[in-house]
Amino acid sequence: MAANTTGTTSAADPVHKPSPRTAVPHARRKRSRNPIGVFGTLSHVALAIWAILIIGPIVWTFLASFKTNTEIFGDALTLPASYGWDAWGRAWEKAHIGQYMLNTVFVVACSTAGTMLLGSMAAYVLARYKFPGNRAVYYLFVSGMTFPVFLALVPLFFVVRNLGLIDTHLGVILVYIAYSLPFTVFFLSAFFKTLPTSVAEAAMMDGCSHTRTFFQIMMPMAKPGLISITIFNILGQWNQYLLPIVLLSGNVEDKWLITQGVANISTSAGYEADWPGMFAALSMAIIPVMVVYIVFQRQIQSGLTSGAVK
Amino acid sequence: MASIVLNSVDKIYAGGVKAVNGLNLEIRDGEFMVLVGPSGCGKSTALRMIAGLEDISGGEILIGEKVVNHLPPKDRDIAMVFQNYALYPHMTVEENLAFGLKLRKMPKAEISKRVGEAARMLGLEQYLKRKPAALSGGQRQRVAMGRAIVREPQAFLMDEPLSNLDAKLRVSMRASLNTMHERLGVTTVYVTHDQVEAMTLGDRVCVLRDGLLQQVDTPQNLFDNPVNLFVAGFMGSPSMNFVNAELVRGDGGAAVAFAGYKLPVPDATFAEKPGLDQFIGRQVILGIRPSDFEDSVAANGHAGGWVRLPVRAEVTEELGSEINVLFLIDAPPVQHQDTVAAADTGDDEDATLPLVGDKSLWTARVNSRSHVRPGQNIELVVDTHNLHFFDPTSGLSIGHAGARV
Repeated sequence: MAANTTGTTSAADPVHKPSPRTAVPHARRKRSRNPIGVFGTLSHVALAIWAILIIGPIVWTFLASFKTNTEIFGDALTLPASYGWDAWGRAWEKAHIGQYMLNTVFVVACSTAGTMLLGSMAAYVLARYKFPGNRAVYYLFVSGMTFPVFLALVPLFFVVRNLGLIDTHLGVILVYIAYSLPFTVFFLSAFFKTLPTSVAEAAMMDGCSHTRTFFQIMMPMAKPGLISITIFNILGQWNQYLLPIVLLSGNVEDKWLITQGVANISTSAGYEADWPGMFAALSMAIIPVMVVYIVFQRQIQSGLTSGAVK
Repeated sequence: MASIVLNSVDKIYAGGVKAVNGLNLEIRDGEFMVLVGPSGCGKSTALRMIAGLEDISGGEILIGEKVVNHLPPKDRDIAMVFQNYALYPHMTVEENLAFGLKLRKMPKAEISKRVGEAARMLGLEQYLKRKPAALSGGQRQRVAMGRAIVREPQAFLMDEPLSNLDAKLRVSMRASLNTMHERLGVTTVYVTHDQVEAMTLGDRVCVLRDGLLQQVDTPQNLFDNPVNLFVAGFMGSPSMNFVNAELVRGDGGAAVAFAGYKLPVPDATFAEKPGLDQFIGRQVILGIRPSDFEDSVAANGHAGGWVRLPVRAEVTEELGSEINVLFLIDAPPVQHQDTVAAADTGDDEDATLPLVGDKSLWTARVNSRSHVRPGQNIELVVDTHNLHFFDPTSGLSIGHAGARV
């Protein structure tokens, strides 16, 4: 009897199905399109406004570097009368932006490299190995995020001076590393936890030491996370102004970083500041960061671990 | 190649959970040993302790007569195949295979020779330059296998390596595993929860439950002579039918009575199972394998001397060559802890049928010539030479050599 009933329904199915089959896609399409429609439009509008808010000032800065002082303080929406590179030349030569940019590239390269090396190693161990005090170390790192840099500025100055590292790039690099580690460790330890443990175990079975497992297996697998946090650190350290002001405060203009150089253009000449030169300098400061961002952005691919495990 | 010996090995996790409890096991040189059991029985933990990925809480593990308790995995000269393959995603297949050899500072020529051999054996030659992401599940699985083979280790450890493959691929990989073991003859420890894999692959099978060893034997012996209710219920698909029964001796000799039926027990059974005669007049748990039933029509007179059992088929599962007939018998289901534990794990479709009152659902596997339909009354014949008797208190098989503790 049971077999009979199933038999009849399955036989009847092909007859009954066609009519609902034509109706179903319509209903499904409407249902799936509606949320995308409403929220899609809203989010696109919001994103467009956001993009204008970001791109507008950057483009304006760039254009302002070709304007004269009068043009800059005139109507904000006019284009420059002529496009000459005078202001860029002045900024590069007279205001030593070239020198400062080199300094900054050196400092940021060293400090980012140091941050990534130390941060990823610390994060890996904290994420993967159980040992007494693991949590304590982790929270110590993370608590660094809650500590505003202004609060520590004066003691920091004295600590760095006592170490004899004041007015040196090494001092700035070390402070940058310390300053960037909390978020790096926080972010990367969460990231390492998402990676499959079995791959590390397979490496151990294959004969890897813990160190080799980390550098040859886990680091390549963590590439998307490492790149995201590298960009974050480069941006943060490149734009740092307060720390270099404090740490390079002596009579060491040749060691200044780019933010100090840009600020100096606007303050050095009193009321007769070289505004086009300053915007040229600003543009110079923006371009390398943009390049870094665009280059690395392409490297962030989700699914780098795909194929490792089922 | 080497033997692997576990001497009363314990694993106690933080919090006091005993995952493996006094495990004694000798895996002979070149043997294919399967560890099988329901999830959480400690089989994977045992394997990981052999591998060196888990600390050993007690006892000792020897690989090739060398105690390896405190050796890191890389110094144990063993290779492992993981359930989820665990390939290195940023390396090509070739680099994946060669990685372990490079770490051992093997000369380049030897590495490429071994990688080439393994690739040929596993049919991976055209994929050597690909990354794992560009491979199918079966290919990834073979790369994982190849990574173990190229090492030419003392032993292979495999942790449910086929469980992520689809059914068809699993069968063909099972066959290639068998041939691979024939060819290489490397000691292999294989963990699975699938008793079909256990039966088909293992030279010997070790059944674990809650960290305790239940029985180690050849697959056929496990099937024919299970040591207790748990092993009896766990091995075999569909699983063994159980019922509380009474052993009686009447005019026509001994018989076992349950649910209104009375099956004669041949004298040979008493001879095979010493101690069974002491249970006459007492309660036992009777076990009958589904394959020991046959439809009296399909049996066609081959079942001379078999006992007839009239039943009503509730559900039939046609498998092509055989039909599983599910029928109710008028006796409450056996609620022994061992049968419950074994049934929890099996893919028992019978549990989905609501049981009415005090009836238990039995399965008979009959020849497809029987053409039985659900709702039909049929007459089953039972091979009374293969009845299994268990002590209702201890759950141990009566008269089993390993059960007489």
